[in-house]
Amino acid sequence: MRKRVSYEYDREGIKQHVMRTAKSAGVPEGWAAQIAERVAKRTDAWIRDKDLVTEGDLRKVIAKELDKIAPDIAFAYKNHDKII
Amino acid sequence: MSDYLNIAIIALVGLVQASLQLNLGGLILLYHASIGKHRRRKTRYLAKSYIWGAMAINFLAVCASCFIIDRIFSGVMDTKWILITIGALLGCGIIMWIFYYKSGSGTQTWLPRSFTRYIRRRARETNDNISAFSLGLLSAFGEMPLSLALYVVAGNAILLTSDKYQVLAAIFYAILTAMPMVVLKLRIKSGSNVVAAQRWRSKNKRFTRVISGFGFMILGWFILTYWVL
Repeated sequence: MRKRVSYEYDREGIKQHVMRTAKSAGVPEGWAAQIAERVAKRTDAWIRDKDLVTEGDLRKVIAKELDKIAPDIAFAYKNHDKII
Repeated sequence: MSDYLNIAIIALVGLVQASLQLNLGGLILLYHASIGKHRRRKTRYLAKSYIWGAMAINFLAVCASCFIIDRIFSGVMDTKWILITIGALLGCGIIMWIFYYKSGSGTQTWLPRSFTRYIRRRARETNDNISAFSLGLLSAFGEMPLSLALYVVAGNAILLTSDKYQVLAAIFYAILTAMPMVVLKLRIKSGSNVVAAQRWRSKNKRFTRVISGFGFMILGWFILTYWVL
């Protein structure tokens, strides 16, 4: 059975990841930072009353929020590990 | 047989190889990772190095194929080996149709997950031109099980052309194999982005699979007609 590893919630890491994804979709730096901040606020609110969450659930929340803001970035976020 | 016909065979082999997806996928991964952390100019240089890497291994592989065929057969392949190669091409065509892409959304290919994970990690960690060049080499090398038969056909066709055109034919072949990557680079330079490219790949993956499969089959039929019958 695969060993489960737990990590601390990394708000900055999420912001950086969303920013990189947004920039790869051609979004300018300032706008990418705003999008990343909005997504981080959403994950903060979602995680507040939870002790433990899975990475998959967190990714779903991020993808859902990105879908509302910019479907292109959401597509890039959801498909990044399905390119090859 | 005329040089034109052999050049046509080399062109067809190059186009079939260009329809394989790993090189293009690797370049999209590199763009994806690099645009997020580097300036546009650096990303352009990395992409250029990646394309040179992929072209270099295709050029070297086809030259190696020429050398091996020349050594083993003292000239060009005999009919028995051409028929075996045709069989391999038909097999590759069927593999393209059935096994090339994994099921589900996205454009994940048949490659083992550990290998694709390694390429993804390398793309993330690529910060200089040498690493980008090596990544291009690696991604072209990863597709070797399918492209091996193509190298053999291209090598034999190059040996059948006149001596003065052989090096040019090998260069022509390497350039053709890089065409999808060059087109992507030009599209991005003209304002498009990698997300649009990946969206196109996802939407048309069935089409590209069918085209590649038919490409292998047509190539097999072509060399059967001109080299065997």
